[in-house]
Amino acid sequence: MTFLTPSPRARRGLLPLALGLVSACSVAGETPRQGGQISFGVTTDPICFNPHRSTQQNSYILIRNYIDSLVAKGSGGRFLPWLAQEHAVSADGKTYTFKLRPGMRFHDGTPLDAAAVKFNFDFVRETKNTNAAGELLQAVDAVQAVSPTEVRLTLRRPDSGLLESIASVRLGLISPKSLQAGDGLCAGGSALAGSGPFVFQSYSRGQSATFVKNRDYQWAPGYAAHAGPAYLDKVTVRFLPEYAVRAGALSSGQVDVIEGVQPTDVGLFKDKPGFQFLVGPAGAQTSFTLNINYTVPPADDVRVRRALRDGANIDALVKSVYQGTYRRAWSNIGPDNFFYAKALENAWGNDVAGANRQLDAAGWTGRDAEGFRTKGGQRLTIEVGYPQPFVRDNREVLIQGLQALLRKNLGFDLKLRFITGGEWAQQLQKGSWTIYPNTYLPADAAQELQGNIGESGFIRAVADKGDKELFRLINDALASTSAEGKKKLVQDAQRRAVDQAFIVPLFSANYQLAAKAHVRGLSFETQLDSPSNFHDVWLQGE
Amino acid sequence: MSAALWRSVAGRLGGSVVVAWGSTTAAFVALHALPGNIADILAGDLDYPGLREAIAAEWGLDRSLAAQYVDFVRRIALGDFGTSYELRRPVADVVASQLWPTLQLAAAAGVLALLIAVGVAVLTAGRGRLPRAVASLVELVFASTPVFWLGILLLMGFSFTLQWLPVSGAAGWQALVLPAVTLALPTAGLLTQVLREAMEKTLEQPFVVTVRARGLGEWRLRTRHVLRHAALPLMTLGGWIIGGLLGGAVITEKVFGRPGLGTVTLNAVLSHDVPIVLAVVLLAAFVHVAASTLLDLLYVLIDPRLRAS
Repeated sequence: MTFLTPSPRARRGLLPLALGLVSACSVAGETPRQGGQISFGVTTDPICFNPHRSTQQNSYILIRNYIDSLVAKGSGGRFLPWLAQEHAVSADGKTYTFKLRPGMRFHDGTPLDAAAVKFNFDFVRETKNTNAAGELLQAVDAVQAVSPTEVRLTLRRPDSGLLESIASVRLGLISPKSLQAGDGLCAGGSALAGSGPFVFQSYSRGQSATFVKNRDYQWAPGYAAHAGPAYLDKVTVRFLPEYAVRAGALSSGQVDVIEGVQPTDVGLFKDKPGFQFLVGPAGAQTSFTLNINYTVPPADDVRVRRALRDGANIDALVKSVYQGTYRRAWSNIGPDNFFYAKALENAWGNDVAGANRQLDAAGWTGRDAEGFRTKGGQRLTIEVGYPQPFVRDNREVLIQGLQALLRKNLGFDLKLRFITGGEWAQQLQKGSWTIYPNTYLPADAAQELQGNIGESGFIRAVADKGDKELFRLINDALASTSAEGKKKLVQDAQRRAVDQAFIVPLFSANYQLAAKAHVRGLSFETQLDSPSNFHDVWLQGE
Repeated sequence: MSAALWRSVAGRLGGSVVVAWGSTTAAFVALHALPGNIADILAGDLDYPGLREAIAAEWGLDRSLAAQYVDFVRRIALGDFGTSYELRRPVADVVASQLWPTLQLAAAAGVLALLIAVGVAVLTAGRGRLPRAVASLVELVFASTPVFWLGILLLMGFSFTLQWLPVSGAAGWQALVLPAVTLALPTAGLLTQVLREAMEKTLEQPFVVTVRARGLGEWRLRTRHVLRHAALPLMTLGGWIIGGLLGGAVITEKVFGRPGLGTVTLNAVLSHDVPIVLAVVLLAAFVHVAASTLLDLLYVLIDPRLRAS
């Protein structure tokens, strides 16, 4: 077993932060200032503040302020030191060793040592504690505290996504004393003691949460711009669910930073004196994608699926709906992900003539009274069942646009129907769904593929009729022990999925931040795509 | 009070208990009529190890439907609304902790709406054509304006541009002003119309001529005599007003980022937190029942004509 050399502290400017927009890096000559406080207007009041329990992506933006992880995910798929100074993986991929920094403490004074790490992982894994993050540790067989500063994880089977999981906020560390209190810690507040740069001071549901500086903080992640405690004394988060209200609160100076800016408000802040506008990466979560159930006719015919994939100009559609805030997607894996198959760019789509030829060849040559293609008296129709709770962000408008184009270009009847969460669960159980549009929570790329289009993905009920080659690629990627080997497998799987038109990727969502110009050091976290915590943020003097 | 009056009061109270029981039954039936497994429905969008077992144990899903129903009604009657699996807290605690900000907002808006309605109606009832037409138009506009839009307009004017009042929060009276005005204006618009019409009808009554003949001034005539008579139709609207204020509070709270039942309800609906939604629906039904019962009783006490002879 060899320890991987920790890579040098990543410079902020090297992270793929902004899409060629304002970079968040500290400009040479600027010296960060200590002190001050800011208020942050966010879209979502988290359902639960306990990282082990929350599955809500917007909650992680806040949780990251008081929760640290063992390792940090840097750009380029590298894992950097955080609470663990070094980590190592055995050659067979079944033993992980972490060497902790000495002298770390949780906010309540409890030592953050190997025993605390073991307590956390064992607590999360224990089924009766009902922690959602337990699913991330399924491959783990045992956690040992070898010495006060060394933790060893033994796996049942290799899990190439484990480091990603350990870098995730969902497996961040909470004081064992807090965990033992037993009330689930969802309500936050000072009862929830983490080890992060800010201490969770108070929470008022539907209104605000406050975080104050942790003066003892000496264990910043490898990607942070500075070591030591945060610059700011206090951060007040205010829950402002309404887009226009958040934008108004910022432009009138009532808050300093906001998250979630609708396309029509971007012009208020972008390139405007006194303000800044930042766009986050699209790599951690999957792109918004139509997943096609290729076991149900007529989508069991690859020609029909390819026609669906190529029959419209997705580029123009995404531009018209999102006005340039979101990029059109070429794969379901996000474009800023290390495992993204860049070769897919411009390799498919917008080929109306070709799509029509495919449908002709597949025998869909008749036309009915409404102009739709038919075969044997049957109309060419596939339904998109969109679960109502997941509809947001004008995504239904995008699908309706696609619907109109496919009808006009091909005579293809793409139906859009809003279904309930319960109906989706039933369809999933029977494998009877036809097209399911989704984005997937941030995770390891191979795990994302597995959860979506792999053997245990949406097709799981009818996996025996699924694509064996795709399943093999994904399973091998999950078991892979080399980064390069895994990258190739994950990319091959993406190519196979797009080539066979099992998926039609539509766009890649990202986070946006707008802030007053004197708020410096704002950035995004690679592991989540979302705004980083406020550790590196400081206020420039007037 | 006479025995007949007591009987009437007891009858109405009994009726309200039946309605409350009916709404509880309807909630139970609705829950079971939804497609899909009941544990899945209660779990909402959630799935974590041990969740289904916890739900099955709490709701007694292994027992017969009848036994589940009896238990459901019993628990609701005792104020036990179960556990929110999303928030991982007892539903009753969550709702109770958010009740006060909503009541504050609804009460402030209700009082404000009433003041506006009475003031404008007293000033404009039976006056010249033009002021009435103007007032009527303004009322109609406010009565038909979505609370959501009104809130944003007020925010733009008084918070973003003039910066007189803060955008959000529940701290201090300043933060209550804009939400209360937002919620009050549409209600006030409708109340004013109803009240003015009632006042105008009253002004045509013969007793008004008598009162005038006694030499009472117009202002005192309106506030002392006419307003009292005209208040009855306003009371009829009481139930509607309470419903409107609570419903409007959901949207107002969202726009202004205020804590309260509305925020909890909205989040619960979006995250499919069925136990919370159920509790809020039942609470709303109970509030309606309580309000209309109270109004019925008040009628009986106030208006001698309604008392059983």
